[in-house]
Amino acid sequence: MSSISSDIIRGYNDTMILYLLWDAPSYGYEISKRIKNLSEEKYVIKETTLYSAFTRLEKNGFVESFSENVTINGKRRTYYKITEQGRQYYREKCAEWTLTKEVVEKFIKQDGGI
Amino acid sequence: METIRNYLETMFARLPITLEVQKAKNELWQMMEDKYTELIKDGKTENEAVGIVISEFGNLDELAEELGISSFVIQGNQKSSEGFCNMKLAEVKDYLHDKTRSAYTVALGVFLCIISCCGYMLDISWNWRGGVFAICFMFLMIAAAVSLFLFSSFVMGKWKFLKEKRCSVDFATAEYVHNRRESFRVTHAMMITIGVILCILSVLPIVIVSSILSWSSGFGVVLMFVFVGVGVFLIVAAVNVNSGMTTILSLNKSDTMGSCFVPSQKQVSYKNATISQIMSIYWPTVTCIYLCWSFLSFDWHITWIIWVIAALVQQLIRAVW
Repeated sequence: MSSISSDIIRGYNDTMILYLLWDAPSYGYEISKRIKNLSEEKYVIKETTLYSAFTRLEKNGFVESFSENVTINGKRRTYYKITEQGRQYYREKCAEWTLTKEVVEKFIKQDGGI
Repeated sequence: METIRNYLETMFARLPITLEVQKAKNELWQMMEDKYTELIKDGKTENEAVGIVISEFGNLDELAEELGISSFVIQGNQKSSEGFCNMKLAEVKDYLHDKTRSAYTVALGVFLCIISCCGYMLDISWNWRGGVFAICFMFLMIAAAVSLFLFSSFVMGKWKFLKEKRCSVDFATAEYVHNRRESFRVTHAMMITIGVILCILSVLPIVIVSSILSWSSGFGVVLMFVFVGVGVFLIVAAVNVNSGMTTILSLNKSDTMGSCFVPSQKQVSYKNATISQIMSIYWPTVTCIYLCWSFLSFDWHITWIIWVIAALVQQLIRAVW
């Protein structure tokens, strides 16, 4: 089975994160876990990739971070929340992907070139 | 869990301490901890969990741009080939072994130097064969001492690069050395204390021997030198063994995340380059003046005042420059 090229998917990490933050704020590990589950374990995001995406998104004003105490052991954990700008950016990315998919699809043979 | 912590510490060890870097480290640690806890809860063994967490960690190069450390990451990669070395645990153990051996060798050499004049003392009191014994004894002792010093410097020559290159140790190694130093602490304190007590008590043999055996005060002086010799041996050995471990712990630069593992000694530094050059020979010069004045005038009762004045002058210079 072929694996996902990290070059290609890198441009869409932001989209995945914003999608997962759409309904409620979340934190690092939960997001990485949900990416793994939703992709049926075909894509496992590296911690460093995820963190670099967070900082980039926050710098651009697409997400906001806040820290909250975790009840279990009194640790503080950083949560991320999507902003209105983030939702706007997500819509743009969706449109971009639809277009990209349409174009690339035209060059993909139905039988996979066998 | 400890393995993961060490892994993360090692990854960050060479990065500069900035707010961004610290935040990144905390965040990454949070994620790794969460992942580890969940994997264990899912019934993975500790080894499996650690393996998965580390394999899914990624690469710090990805963060370089966000953290403003790109220059550092690139620099770090280049440096690894020349001038930069990371001490492995085995290497550090080797170094400490050599350092301990050399500490005792040097201390023994110093001991031999101190007792080298004992032959002369005995000779004075017993007057054996016109000093032949005294001279032979002295030169034998000094020859032995010098060969010990040479041996020690050959052994330590191998480790010169520690001072020349920019070396670093990882977290686990530092912890090992730290524990080793902790366990040596009591021994260290005992050795220093006994050493100092022996030096202080060294006058006792003269007093006692001369009061009992009035015919041979030379014997008392010999005992005094032996006391001082053993005392100095203990002090020199203890200080040297300890300094080896401190050397390792202070290898890391204090401005990186690996951080210096010992509280940084307050390095006296002068802003003015000329002054700092002059000050580097300050104390040797003071010692020289002290000895010259004392030996020429034999005013030992007053010459010690030089040390007080010298210290005051140094404080003054430090305050001004």
